[in-house]
Amino acid sequence: MSGIVVEGLSKTYRRPLAVEGVRALVDVSLTIAPGEAFGIIGPNGAGKTTFLGCLLGFLRPDSGRITIDGHAPDDLAVRRVTGYLPERLVLDRWMSGRGFLAYHHALAKLPAAGRATDVDAALESVGLGGEAGARGIRRYSRGMLQRLGLAQAMLGRPRYLFLDEPASGVDPAGVVLFRRLLTDLKHRDVTVILNSHQLDQVERVCDRVAFVRGGKVEAIETVAAGASHARMLRVRAAGGAIGTRERLESLATSVGASLHDVDPPQARFTVADDASAARLIQALIAAGVPVAEATPEESRLERLFLDTPPGASS
Amino acid sequence: MNATLIAALWRQRLTSPIRLVLLGSLMGMPLLAVVFMHGAGLSALGDSQGAVLVLGAGMIGQDVSSGVLQLLFARPVRRPDYVVSRWLGVAIAASAVALVQLGLALALMAARDSLPGAQDVFLYAAGRVIESFGLAAVLALFSSLIPGFGDLALYFLFTLSASVVHWVGQVKQWPWLDRAGSEILASLQPKLDLAQLVHASPMPWFPIVSYASTVTLCLALAIVAVNRKELSYASG
Repeated sequence: MSGIVVEGLSKTYRRPLAVEGVRALVDVSLTIAPGEAFGIIGPNGAGKTTFLGCLLGFLRPDSGRITIDGHAPDDLAVRRVTGYLPERLVLDRWMSGRGFLAYHHALAKLPAAGRATDVDAALESVGLGGEAGARGIRRYSRGMLQRLGLAQAMLGRPRYLFLDEPASGVDPAGVVLFRRLLTDLKHRDVTVILNSHQLDQVERVCDRVAFVRGGKVEAIETVAAGASHARMLRVRAAGGAIGTRERLESLATSVGASLHDVDPPQARFTVADDASAARLIQALIAAGVPVAEATPEESRLERLFLDTPPGASS
Repeated sequence: MNATLIAALWRQRLTSPIRLVLLGSLMGMPLLAVVFMHGAGLSALGDSQGAVLVLGAGMIGQDVSSGVLQLLFARPVRRPDYVVSRWLGVAIAASAVALVQLGLALALMAARDSLPGAQDVFLYAAGRVIESFGLAAVLALFSSLIPGFGDLALYFLFTLSASVVHWVGQVKQWPWLDRAGSEILASLQPKLDLAQLVHASPMPWFPIVSYASTVTLCLALAIVAVNRKELSYASG
């Protein structure tokens, strides 16, 4: 069967001299279809990284079974079509960025004839072309390391891409770049498994999201990847003078937002993103609305994060 | 065997100033002896222990502790291939160091017209190569067991313990303890006395089998140890 199939996966870390081990995963079962972008979210210590470790064949589960395209995760046939970006990225710091990618290109057993071209293309794709690629890795910033790590993971156009906090330590421009790259990968039918605390990023990229807590998958949510990620902005006016519905509608439309409802002294607007929210607040203040408070409401995943009670079934 | 891994190990070693300085000293000091000590023969060049320890320290453990193994094993690389490649990389590099040193020594000896015989040179060179491959296997085992440069500490600990056992056996005149110490020491630095082997008749097979089995056992145990490793910071 193609895709990723996980059945009854459990993993406990045994500690020397400890009576009981730490249960990191408890009877996890799920399937990830080929070409799907699958997000994994949950609080720290939920078992997300352990789950990724098992999917990659780095950790041996106590029980249960994982297959990727019908093979065990550590099968070389799987490794040939897999890309991986770990959260704690440790690179061979004595290499240059270009040398590092050439090394992984060779390890991936990709054709040597296209090595230079592939490496340059990978560096360009993450904004590390030219002098940056020739620089020694020990002189890279945290964000540059993360970009290089992503370039490494995408070498050879893998069919499965495992990303553990890919945008960690990356500047805002890098976050936008990563999001664009992930969207491109999705369009190329790459199966992306994304573990991230950046719920906004997960919501924008993923088709489905598993919420993991206490080693269990508590919920699997389908999110409309690629759809509009409009946010709700709640605005409260001082003294109850929020203004008329018509006036608020006109102001919202002038900055590309829309009025959702009015309940003096509050009104709720739909905004496309943070920049749109900022423009709306500016317009309201300029029009004399005494804005006392402007609060973005939680995204769908944030609500899932906050609302899912411990022990809820998937 | 994975040529990419071997080449990467060499490049890594060549970018380590500490290793290069130590290696230069280990190569240079015996050559100074050849220059300044009249009549100094090939034995003045010593053995391969220093070069193997300098080049091999942390050959697996350094990758384990730094965390680069995760990215490496996400690639289509078999763990036994990784272990064998690290062993070969260190052994070949140490052999090359020994042979370069020998070449320089022979050039110096030729300049003063005191070249040793061709057979002696060949046996010496082959002995150094065999010793490099043997000791590299022992270090590969230790390095697979302990992260970082713990392999060096383990090697010296074992060597010291075996020396003490050997010494106590001699002082107390307990032949069994003396023999035990000698065997452990021999296992920690597997090598063959080629001159003795070549000139003996019939050829004694025990040292050859003993050397081969030590190297094979060390590599097999190193592979088992690396195969059993779980690679995740979540497990730490």
